[in-house]
Amino acid sequence: MADPVTDPTLPEPQELVAEDLIEEVSIDGMCGVY
Amino acid sequence: MDPLLGEPWTLSPAVALRPEPFGALAYHFGNRKLTFLKRPDLVATVRALGEQPDVRSALVAAGVPVSQHAAYAAALRGLAATDMIRPRVEGEVA
Repeated sequence: MADPVTDPTLPEPQELVAEDLIEEVSIDGMCGVY
Repeated sequence: MDPLLGEPWTLSPAVALRPEPFGALAYHFGNRKLTFLKRPDLVATVRALGEQPDVRSALVAAGVPVSQHAAYAAALRGLAATDMIRPRVEGEVA
């Protein structure tokens, strides 16, 4: 398995963004789930 | 820095938060919007909004590092866009 610390081909850890914190979902697709 | 951080906000009274392992589900009974809050400290922030003088204080109370305040402010603006949270009128009881 690639080591994220030593493998230069792996991307740098990304800065936290709003999409990491919230996700809006459609209620229409949640029938029977929630 | 986002001016929202210095403003008083609160959770909308039409919103229910359901705790989940990843954070919480927020459901708005008025507009039927459903949003995942994907971190427990965001949930803590949202819950603290009504008890703190401003958003920055709520973030601090929830233990969010200052370096992440901008990202959290952006996420809170996303919640505001669907009325999950709303500006708090001074003197209003949360």
